Amino acid sequence: MSEFVRDGEMYSLDLTVDEAQILINLVEQLLELLGEGNFNHHYDESDPFAQLMAQLKAAPEEIVTPEDPVLLRLFPNAYADPEAANDFRRYTEPTLRGKKERSLLEVRQALEIIVDENRDGVVADLDCDTWLMAINDLRIALSVRLEITPDSFELFEALPDTDPQKAIFAVYFWLGWLQTSLLNVISR
Amino acid sequence: MSTETLADTDLDISQLIDRPWITLVWDDPVNQMSYVVYVFVKIFSFSQERAHELMMQVHNEGRAVVANGSREEMERAVQSLHEHGLWATLQRDDLA
Repeated sequence: MSEFVRDGEMYSLDLTVDEAQILINLVEQLLELLGEGNFNHHYDESDPFAQLMAQLKAAPEEIVTPEDPVLLRLFPNAYADPEAANDFRRYTEPTLRGKKERSLLEVRQALEIIVDENRDGVVADLDCDTWLMAINDLRIALSVRLEITPDSFELFEALPDTDPQKAIFAVYFWLGWLQTSLLNVISR
Repeated sequence: MSTETLADTDLDISQLIDRPWITLVWDDPVNQMSYVVYVFVKIFSFSQERAHELMMQVHNEGRAVVANGSREEMERAVQSLHEHGLWATLQRDDLA
């Protein structure tokens, strides 16, 4: 399985085409959920994540508490008091959204080269914070859709290989493993 | 003696005015322990030990106070925690 590699202050990631394809599909679906869909996406409609990640409802024009649980988890209420939470959201959410979109777009750009050339490749000289944040946002988005609980890993292991859910959960846990791989080389 | 008392009182009042807000981080089943420690060190410049201690408090008790200060400071902290995908809120420190 691919992992992050560190050489001095340079970080890189070897990926197979299949891995890059899985990642770019998720990145594009999350970008579209965030409202940044200004690209030709690489996934087709039969992708098992496409429906999972599709937005539940059209986003409203004004900035209000999101109805989609993924968006609510990515942009949580900062205050228990609804009025204070809304004020905070109005002046922080556009910035936060922009930062998350930029990380995902940067990751997408790196993956696109591997996917479009259709052969295994290296993401060289990558920015650790960008990749950490993008991977974490993908994990969060999937965790909400998969309704991850502390017991999910045991449930996943118990699923028979023939269960279609198994592959989807496998991707979620793979992302956690990738994140750990990056954190390990950063702290080395 | 009286000067000292006055100085002490001034200090207490300034603390009440400047530091009455807290930032809480809540437990979730998604963020990995090593990632939470990394984020605490990055955002708050905690030592590894302190970051680990707070991460364990979040994990075991469901939440932990990770910072206190002015409302503005705590809003910046919460914003940064949200940027990193942690579930954080701020409130008045009425626990004190």
